[in-house]
Amino acid sequence: MKKITVIILISVAVLVPVLAQQSERDYPTEQPKVRFAPLHVYLDSGGNALAAFQLELKGTAGQVKIVGVEGGSHEAFSKTPPYYDPAALANDRIIIAAFSTQRNLPKGRTRIATLHLQILGDAQPQYELKLIVAADANGKEIPARISFEKGE
Amino acid sequence: MIMTGRMEHFDEDLDLRGSPKLSAGLSALFEPQHPVPPEVDRAVLDRAHNHFVHRKSAKGGRRFRWAAVWKVAAAAAVVIFAFSLDLTKKSGPATDRSVPAGTQAADIDLNGRVDILDAFKLARQIESAGPAGESLSLREQGWDINGDGLVNRDDVDMVAFAAVRLDKGVL
Repeated sequence: MKKITVIILISVAVLVPVLAQQSERDYPTEQPKVRFAPLHVYLDSGGNALAAFQLELKGTAGQVKIVGVEGGSHEAFSKTPPYYDPAALANDRIIIAAFSTQRNLPKGRTRIATLHLQILGDAQPQYELKLIVAADANGKEIPARISFEKGE
Repeated sequence: MIMTGRMEHFDEDLDLRGSPKLSAGLSALFEPQHPVPPEVDRAVLDRAHNHFVHRKSAKGGRRFRWAAVWKVAAAAAVVIFAFSLDLTKKSGPATDRSVPAGTQAADIDLNGRVDILDAFKLARQIESAGPAGESLSLREQGWDINGDGLVNRDDVDMVAFAAVRLDKGVL
């Protein structure tokens, strides 16, 4: 009698998870739509040469994951990727920073970084972008306007 | 013969002892013809002893087998429980870039916060000092952030990574 009880218990313990997984496979839940899109970040330093910047970007609506970070368009910021915390990847928040000590620096509006995003679902994601600091070649803080453009 | 009801069913006063002659006769009748030698007695006792010892050990073995079955069942239950918790999921990559001397050391411009301008200032200082100035004057200012005895690009990177750490909570 005891033997039968033990056999039944073991069988139940083994079969229940297996059957549960099987039923999940039989009735798959609807996977959310996934798409990838770049987000271009621009900084307009006006008449000042831009030598360093630091910004923070955060997804405020929709399901967004940052999957990659690319440098800017000007050679001062395109040769090496910007600094960021690797923990930001697969997250919806990132702090990006870069500087250049070379003489040829961008002025006016320039693309300073491109973020590659994974967007889940149909909801249109929203972002909050904040410029923490921008500086000229002497390390002096300069006023600048930051913006982004959604790519396809 | 007149008997009471009680006597009919319970003849308590009946003397059940037989006569000594009858007892002797019956004993003689059932007495073994040949006396059993003590060796045979011992052999019978030994066999009986062995038999019961075997039974006892067989019972113990069975108990051992049951213990093993329970252990296997418990192990299976633990494994299933672990899988149900999905412990196989790997945690994310380690991202702890520690600044040995803390954020205070990374605050190169001493404005009370660590940002990219600290790294930028350090990089400019290193460039203006040239290769000979890597060690001495800059180290004296406490800018050897990683403590390797040199003030170079590695220290700049360390300050920059301290500036972009997510756990700073800027927004």
